[in-house]
Amino acid sequence: MSLERALVDLGRSLDVPEPVDLLPTVVARLERPPRRRPERRRLAAAVGLAALVALVATLVVPDARSALLRLLSIGGERVVLVDELPEVEPLPRGFDLVLGEEVTLAEARARTGLELARLEGSPDPDRVYLGPRETVWFLWGTPRRVRLLLAQTRELAPGTPPLVEKQVEAGGEVEPVSVDGARGIFLGGSRHVVLLLDAAGEPVEEAVWLARDVLVWERAGTTFRLEGELSRDRALELARAVR
Amino acid sequence: MEGRPPDDAALAERAKHGDERAFEELVRGYQDVAFRTAYLLTGSAADAEEAVQSGFVKAWSALPRFRAGSPFRPWLLRIVVNEAHNRRRAARRRGELAVRASAVSASGDAAPSPEDAVLGRERRLGLLRAVERLSDLDRDVLTCRYFLELSEVETATALSLRRGTVKSRTARALARLRAELGAEVSA
Repeated sequence: MSLERALVDLGRSLDVPEPVDLLPTVVARLERPPRRRPERRRLAAAVGLAALVALVATLVVPDARSALLRLLSIGGERVVLVDELPEVEPLPRGFDLVLGEEVTLAEARARTGLELARLEGSPDPDRVYLGPRETVWFLWGTPRRVRLLLAQTRELAPGTPPLVEKQVEAGGEVEPVSVDGARGIFLGGSRHVVLLLDAAGEPVEEAVWLARDVLVWERAGTTFRLEGELSRDRALELARAVR
Repeated sequence: MEGRPPDDAALAERAKHGDERAFEELVRGYQDVAFRTAYLLTGSAADAEEAVQSGFVKAWSALPRFRAGSPFRPWLLRIVVNEAHNRRRAARRRGELAVRASAVSASGDAAPSPEDAVLGRERRLGLLRAVERLSDLDRDVLTCRYFLELSEVETATALSLRRGTVKSRTARALARLRAELGAEVSA
């Protein structure tokens, strides 16, 4: 008997307790939409709407009991507010194995057919990764000590989930900005959680990390994100140098 | 692996739009396979029940993100697997699994003699203990692929891995298991 067959045989022989009917407990625990939205949540929603309309002022999100409140979507990025950030363990090998397959710039260019971004006035990135969903990641530094991380994502097909979800804790700052006329947002000052999403819109478990200063902008259907220890002005300066 | 109610795509779509009855049908249809999955990962019936309950509650909240037309089972199992992992981490250990005393070979052989049955059980126990000596990563991929009999694609979804990673991790886990077993089980 092959080992694989022996494992299947073993699986069918395992002593698994008889499951109890969990339906009543599950149904009792389901969250239903509230009939009336609480006052504080209404306030948070109003602030979110104002940010979408005005896209000018720094947004400081008030504390809210909402479990999740979608705030902004830019290109392949979605920013949501949460009451409390989930626990995030350090990536065991830094960004290695997380962002995708490590390739050369030439390979990335050949395999994506994209005109790759370059940072004018800066050396070539130290590493390039070809990630899922046609995203190219450019890393300066090392996977464990990242000085700067730039991602370039081709326009996603309509109706497909975003590539990245950022979870920002209530109280975090989300500032709408303009990068040479292109719409963008700067998340700075407080940590937020970055989750890479798969094509089904589910977080990829091994690709979750904490970030602090990130600028995201969309230009001609392409989404760019820049991550590092950056002030808003420095991030905007670098973004304008992306060609 | 059993546990697929009819037309779960339609049920999932209705549940996605807030139809609790449809979601209840999904819970009825999938709670056994969800429990089996969580139990094999945690080795504890109490932890498995809690993981399944939390998994279904989280699945209900996450339904708006469920992509229409995609298979429901691996999507749900991913959530349950995450919950089971959380409980396993919190417990800092994993309970031991056991082989049924009356285990019958899945290979469809004729009923074994009492001696063969004892030998078969001993062989399975040896294999089980060897699997349990593997790392969590190796064990999880073997659990999904062989104990739960999930396809590579389903395993990739359930464990939040790429399909290629499942393939390579399975090969590595089997190699390590062979090393654990020595010459006991031939490849």
